[in-house]
Amino acid sequence: MRILLAKLLALLIGMLILALAVLFSLEQNL
Amino acid sequence: MYYIFWGLLWVGVYLALILAPLVVLLVSPVPAGSGFWWDVSLALGFAGTAMMGTLFFQTARFRRASAPFGIDIIYYFHRQISLVAFTFILAHPLLLLTVEPSLWGFFRPAVAPWHLWAGAGSLLALCLLLVSSLYRKPLHINYDRWRVGHAVLATLSLGFAIAHIEGVGHYVDAPWKKMLWGLISLSWLLLLAYVRLIKPALLLRRPFRVTEVIAERGDAWTLQLAPEGHAGFSFQPGQFAWLTVWDSPFALKEHPFSFASSAEHPGALRFTIKALGDFTSRIKDVTVGQQVYVDGPYGSFSTDRQTADSYVFIAGGIGIVPIMGILRTLADRADRRPLLLIYAYHTWERLTFREELETLRVQLDLNLVFVLKEPPKGWQGEVGLISAELLARHLPQQHSDRQEYFICGPVAMIQFSEKLLNSLGVPLSKIHSELFDLV
Repeated sequence: MRILLAKLLALLIGMLILALAVLFSLEQNL
Repeated sequence: MYYIFWGLLWVGVYLALILAPLVVLLVSPVPAGSGFWWDVSLALGFAGTAMMGTLFFQTARFRRASAPFGIDIIYYFHRQISLVAFTFILAHPLLLLTVEPSLWGFFRPAVAPWHLWAGAGSLLALCLLLVSSLYRKPLHINYDRWRVGHAVLATLSLGFAIAHIEGVGHYVDAPWKKMLWGLISLSWLLLLAYVRLIKPALLLRRPFRVTEVIAERGDAWTLQLAPEGHAGFSFQPGQFAWLTVWDSPFALKEHPFSFASSAEHPGALRFTIKALGDFTSRIKDVTVGQQVYVDGPYGSFSTDRQTADSYVFIAGGIGIVPIMGILRTLADRADRRPLLLIYAYHTWERLTFREELETLRVQLDLNLVFVLKEPPKGWQGEVGLISAELLARHLPQQHSDRQEYFICGPVAMIQFSEKLLNSLGVPLSKIHSELFDLV
């Protein structure tokens, strides 16, 4: 359970940061 | 509820720490955009560096912050999130060099500015960190040397990354942004000073003395320790601590081991250690009277944290140690709740704690199931590996919500046993595990 949650949290944080990086770039360049 | 509240709070703090640099980017004055991929690359570089900085927080072993999760899973998370951070940091130059191939021309000693070399140095150190951590055993890197190398490479990688960001100056050129980045960087460096200097100094003032060295079955040795000149500390059964045996706490030569002794006797700590590697093979040479240092307690693998009407334990090999600590504690407390222990080992002869488990069977309401890979002649018990059929034979037919399951052993065994239990109807929230041997 904890292993799964740790993997999931790492994945979610990765996706969140990727999404924010894309949003930041769109904001800068549109 | 207490641990859930604090767990969510610390996850929130962690998110705030890694998102802070992106917020710095977004607050004005923001320079004009440099193209979509170029700015994605910059954001990933900043975020990756912030994630790298917070990696130090994860291994600083703050007891309060690690308590809701168990520090073993924080180390596991450290490993997972560092792969994410590495991907972002690697994506940063790759994206830049892809959208602007002319940048390759800068990679010449006479042309490249110093901050470009700092960035390349950071990435190189990070690559070495990753390879040495993921493949330490296949590469035959000694654990103690790996730890020192890991600390040095991590510091170099982060130091170079900060220098790279400050050197480029883009997005952090406003004075307050420069100061904020400086503060963020300083917090990482202060943390490093705490972990490497202050914490070892505190440990040095609270030594323990070896009072007994006991040979156990299965090439394992038990060290009994008593606090020297201080009151020691209390712990929950099933937790673990980092032991420094032959060196000063400053030497970074500490190893994690579970408490094998009863939590009811914190003045006589016991650690049972199997001879498996360079360090553990020397445990038998420890002498009575020797001074050692104990950093603990850590971990969430404890029956004290999971109130239940009955417990099921599954142990693989030396994974029996924390479970033994739990059983000894329950015996000291005259606990009469029903317990089931499924203990997998290679041979009957080498089965660690065999005799004492038989004694505990009488003292406690303990049902013992030994699973042997190589059983002796005439063995009537279970044989082979833990399987769904084996569990179904011994577990209660109906899972009760008031029953908790504890598994300790190699990661593969834990994951396999969790799947098996879950397939038999045990909710994942009722299964608790202790990871070790992560690197």
